[in-house]
Amino acid sequence: MSALTRRAWLAALLAAGALPAAAQAEPPQPETAAAAASVGPPRGTPLSGPALDARTKEVAALLRCPVCQGLSVQDSPSSMAQKMRVQVRELVAAGYDREQILKHFEASYGEFVLLRPAMRGVNWLVWLAPALGLVAGGVVVTWALRRGRGAA
Amino acid sequence: MNRKVLLLGLLLVLPLVAVLFLMLGRDPHIVKSPLVGRAAPAFKLPAVGTDDALGLQDLRGRPAVINFWATWCGPCIQEHPVLLRGAAARKDVRFVGIVYDDKRDAVEEFLRARGMAYPTLLDESGATAIAYGIQGVPETFFLNAEGTIVAKYGLPLDEETLDHYLKLASSPPAAAGSGR
Repeated sequence: MSALTRRAWLAALLAAGALPAAAQAEPPQPETAAAAASVGPPRGTPLSGPALDARTKEVAALLRCPVCQGLSVQDSPSSMAQKMRVQVRELVAAGYDREQILKHFEASYGEFVLLRPAMRGVNWLVWLAPALGLVAGGVVVTWALRRGRGAA
Repeated sequence: MNRKVLLLGLLLVLPLVAVLFLMLGRDPHIVKSPLVGRAAPAFKLPAVGTDDALGLQDLRGRPAVINFWATWCGPCIQEHPVLLRGAAARKDVRFVGIVYDDKRDAVEEFLRARGMAYPTLLDESGATAIAYGIQGVPETFFLNAEGTIVAKYGLPLDEETLDHYLKLASSPPAAAGSGR
């Protein structure tokens, strides 16, 4: 093998070795950079294919579309919801888990963006009030019936 | 009427009436921003009409106004002259427009027709709008010189409101308040 051929092979090998390094040096997407700033690095496994689609739908269904009346990001046809779905998909693909993604959007929009209010503080009222109302109603009805039987 | 029944009824109804009374005066469309009081989210976006990009770090050192708008938004057209006059009058404040969900051609045409006094950036992916918690346009953020968001205003600006928030953004950090 001539010196020129050896040099060419060496140059080709060095260039091939530099490709993974170049790929690793690629700057993070703005969406994942923003998520890293708000919730830290991804805690889960990067997903792709059907698993990515399923997890994206699952998480998007838990987020409220900010421009619609009560629709989820998954169901809303609005442009904002579409952009948010894209961002959810990119974060899931990067390995962010459900809680991290919800927290990331909550950091921008507040608790309002969560379709299921977190169980903390005054939010407990939202979760417990229907059950308490049912119990209170049952007590009132029972009392009224007993009173009626007593009077009879 | 049985007193116990009356008392029980009042016990159940009065809290609901109190909540209704307190909430009636509030606009249900205004959602308080969790970003007020925190560092503004970073961004770097292409500027319309040039080949440059502008980022949040370019606004540091002076109070700043970041106005999210779109050419198809009627209230944005209404407040545009207010922002132009504000930018011309307050050279100590940096103004930036971020266009959401719009086309470059339409934005360039709009600015040619209606005037441009500060950089306008294009947020094509919507990532910056999402980072700022945008629910609609126009929405305007007021930052102090340190880059902290001191207020968010979610309605079309008028002169008086703009002056009020510019004073807030120009005040020392202890005087900053919450936004709408």
